[in-house]
Amino acid sequence: MKTYITLAIISILITFSACTDVIDVDVQSAPARLTIEASLDWEKGTSGNEQTIKLSTSKPYFGSTDYSSVTGASVTVTNKANGETYVFEDQNNGEYTTTSFVPVLNGTYTLEVIYNNETYTATERLMPVVDITDLTQSRNKGFNDEDLEVNVIFTDPEEEENFYLFKFKERGDLLPYLEDADDEFVNGNEISWYFEKEEDESTDKIEAFVPGDIIDIEFYGISEQYYNFIRILIEQSGGTGLFSSTPVPLKGNCINESNPDNYAYGYFRLTEMVKKSYTFQ
Amino acid sequence: MKNIFLSFILFAGITSAQERYTVSGTIMDGSNGETLFGASVFLEGTTIGVTTNEYGFYSLTAPKGNHKIIVSYIGFTELKKEITLDRDQKMDFEIMEFSTQLDEIVVTAEEPERVILRKPEMSVAKLNMKTVKQMPVVLGELDIIKSLQMLPGVTNNGEGSSGFHVRGGAADQNLVLLDEAIIYNTSHLLGFFSVFNADAIKDIKLYKGGIPARFGGRTSSVLDVRQKDGNSKDFAMTGGIGIISSRLALEGPMFKEKGSFLIAGRGSYAHLFLKAAGQDNSANFYDLNLKTNYNLNGSNQLFLSGYFGRDAFELGESFNSSYGNLSGNLRWNHIFNDRLFSNLSLIYSKYDYDLGIVIEEFNWISSINNYNIKYDLKYYTSEKFKLDFGASGIYYDFDPGQILPTSETSEINPLSLDRKKAFEGALYINAEHMLTNALTVQYGLRYSFFSRMGGQAMTEYADDKPVVYNQLLGIYERGTAVGETYYEKSEAIKTFGNLEPRVSLAYQLSDNSALKAGYSRVAQYIHLLSNTTSVTPLDVWTPSGKFVKPQLSDQFALGYFRDFDDKRYSLEVEAYYKTTDNRIDYIDGSDLIGTNTIETEILNGESRAYGLEFLARKNEGRFTGWFAYTLSKSEQRTPGGNAGGLGISDGKWYNTAYDRTHDFSLTGAFELNEKWSFGTNLVFQTGRPVTYPNGQYTYEDLSIASYSDRNSDRLPAYHRLDISANYRPNRKPNNRWKGEWVFGLYNVYNHKNAASVSFGQNVDTGANEATRTAIFGIVPSVTYNFKF
Repeated sequence: MKTYITLAIISILITFSACTDVIDVDVQSAPARLTIEASLDWEKGTSGNEQTIKLSTSKPYFGSTDYSSVTGASVTVTNKANGETYVFEDQNNGEYTTTSFVPVLNGTYTLEVIYNNETYTATERLMPVVDITDLTQSRNKGFNDEDLEVNVIFTDPEEEENFYLFKFKERGDLLPYLEDADDEFVNGNEISWYFEKEEDESTDKIEAFVPGDIIDIEFYGISEQYYNFIRILIEQSGGTGLFSSTPVPLKGNCINESNPDNYAYGYFRLTEMVKKSYTFQ
Repeated sequence: MKNIFLSFILFAGITSAQERYTVSGTIMDGSNGETLFGASVFLEGTTIGVTTNEYGFYSLTAPKGNHKIIVSYIGFTELKKEITLDRDQKMDFEIMEFSTQLDEIVVTAEEPERVILRKPEMSVAKLNMKTVKQMPVVLGELDIIKSLQMLPGVTNNGEGSSGFHVRGGAADQNLVLLDEAIIYNTSHLLGFFSVFNADAIKDIKLYKGGIPARFGGRTSSVLDVRQKDGNSKDFAMTGGIGIISSRLALEGPMFKEKGSFLIAGRGSYAHLFLKAAGQDNSANFYDLNLKTNYNLNGSNQLFLSGYFGRDAFELGESFNSSYGNLSGNLRWNHIFNDRLFSNLSLIYSKYDYDLGIVIEEFNWISSINNYNIKYDLKYYTSEKFKLDFGASGIYYDFDPGQILPTSETSEINPLSLDRKKAFEGALYINAEHMLTNALTVQYGLRYSFFSRMGGQAMTEYADDKPVVYNQLLGIYERGTAVGETYYEKSEAIKTFGNLEPRVSLAYQLSDNSALKAGYSRVAQYIHLLSNTTSVTPLDVWTPSGKFVKPQLSDQFALGYFRDFDDKRYSLEVEAYYKTTDNRIDYIDGSDLIGTNTIETEILNGESRAYGLEFLARKNEGRFTGWFAYTLSKSEQRTPGGNAGGLGISDGKWYNTAYDRTHDFSLTGAFELNEKWSFGTNLVFQTGRPVTYPNGQYTYEDLSIASYSDRNSDRLPAYHRLDISANYRPNRKPNNRWKGEWVFGLYNVYNHKNAASVSFGQNVDTGANEATRTAIFGIVPSVTYNFKF
């Protein structure tokens, strides 16, 4: 909900004044770091046994986005309650996979990655999520009254604080959209979370939904700690304008035990997740 | 300190015990009866002289005998009068402008803007409305704040943002007073216009340092703006019609010339055009200035003044927002005797905003209210000694935010953040003391007191730490709340007291040069919370208390002042060094919106700023103007403190968001003939510190930027050129209607000054790119001004 307040401020400026263009700027170049994308997501209704962890290294900001994948690392996840360890096999393309992972709701897991003789560890809890009760479409919400949007409807549990992550991707698009939510202002209510693509008038790159478009929706229950991480990541990846917060170096939960200063980017998260698709009518 | 004071007062008393008499009174503009602030009253051939106070009052004490009194003021004909001082007497003077033509370029000495060598006042930027009117304008509106930014030591916060910065200070460290009422937001339409309507303003004074003891509460500067009293002789009307906004001011005598009034209004109507053009979005502002006064008798006068301004934005059906200042002030001037002047003020001011998130069916409102009582006295002890003293009390009521669902179907639950209440009191005494003919000293002391009042619960944290350093992850996190303590209304949550010494001295080296030095300490008890790159109108103020300490700043300044060529040119060079304790900064990922416990988002740090300012003016001739250059540094450091850890940016010094290494400006006015005159501004500033990416990594199929240390990069340099032309058509001498056309071009060479640079992925190619947002390109304007 806070997003709307920030959004309102930014939109005021952009709408009334902005003239934007792409320019060349010089940026600093930080040394490369290991990036750990350890997202163990348990889709409702599946066994959750198959999981993938991706390792890569960071690069200078401007340049190609072909990330150099990391091979030869050792990756294991352990269920803290019973000590069961799952070894993730190196696929030699930066992906490490297992088919034997056993997800337990609210269970605590630890991750261990050994790379370049340095050991990275992280601990997280597998967060449950409620079901999506309905998917609808409308035009009257969002910034533009004429554009189509999809509404994801679910009921927030009242007894605890909840944090959510949405991933929306239209089939055929290159990039997904991530959105974060908490229940601070809406605790216990039935929530209708809308997503619309606002046309970018200056570049025509982004087009609003039209009937026939298919959107893939992923809905995750996340921990407060991960929410604090992903909230900043989303805000910063959406560009850092005049009225957005000063960007900050973002640290995840993967700690380098051997050399704390050489921390890793990325995060070790465990979630329960709902996957849906919607075709606009 | 106390003893020194006493001995000086005694000393002053002795010198005045000889046979001396006092002449006192008011200096007014003969054409409209406006009192003149800062007019000089001198006795010819002596060093005895004063300048008038805010109400045009002066008091001079001199040995018995015949004297020639000289009254002078900017653009006015000097007045000389023989007086025989054989008793105390009251004498009011009316002086006349050289010409009463509208916006006549005054091609003569402008005394108060010239270096006044003997006064220990330094680090003061005083702009006369006439000077402001000669400067090129953006969007056809005179803008005091933009004019001040042409002076050394004053910078903007980037286009499209409210606020200004003085000597490396933050925007919330400026005390902005309109007829003594605190103004919390100085701009309309996000910095496009200032809230000050030039038609209603008499004079402006900006204290960049050497802040007199009668002011306090903000560490960086005081901007003292005074409204006109209104024409007490004739009914008059002034106004202007522009492309974006228009204004009208009415003034005239009241109560059989015992009083006068002024009503001035402004409004923009761009939104009407936008609507007509089928645009769903609109932005507009309006404001209203009121002033009236009544002279009860020679020694008692009442003033009532008010200001109301509002901005409104609408973004189609999704968002709307409105915000503005409201203030009122009732004043009573009382002259006890010819040497003791007093003023009592009762002031109310308020700033509030209302943000409507229509799509989610809720309103977000917030406000700050304050009630202020002030009593100021000035005692003209002798020709060598003047004493200011007084007291003030401010009661604050902060409403940091409420969420109000606007319909039954809204998904949003109502929420009220805790209201906060506080009291700020102060006592001060200040002496202006002429020690020798060449050396004048001003020394004073202010005692300020702040109490954060109860009537609310305060969260208690484990180990008393609202913020804790997570050693493992290397980040700052919110502390663990372990309970709440409720403070009764009668109870203080926390109190603070500070002694604030202020000293400055002027040493006259020769007839045309002087050396000045000053030191001042100022405490600031309320803070503007803003973790965004720019200050927004929706930022919230918060009082000091249990976890937020008052800011304390110390400033040292040294200056050299010189006139050349019979005062045709002047030069001012000043150096300053300023430190501020308890400057807050925000932890990485801080979240200020809707947060009740601000203390969990901040760390206490310190800041320092230093610089060299250079101002050369040409005061006379058909061409007048100035060149200003500032070389400065402003940085801050925020160690972990109680929270542990090294702090923000590992506890190292980092640039503040308003550090500008170089700031260069050139302002000129040229009078071609009676009909045409021209003005120009040229500005060059180092780009604002910002934080850019220093790498990228992949996460969730996106390219994620990693960011470098806080404020370690800079926006491209800011520069622009403005020009304007004034055309005054032929006027019949007897015609009361006087009109003038003002043509302006802002940013003549259409330089796209970056207000921000944003980084993200191109949605088609996935490649990273930097996108510049520029606010003003070239902006032409036409305004027709009139006076009747």
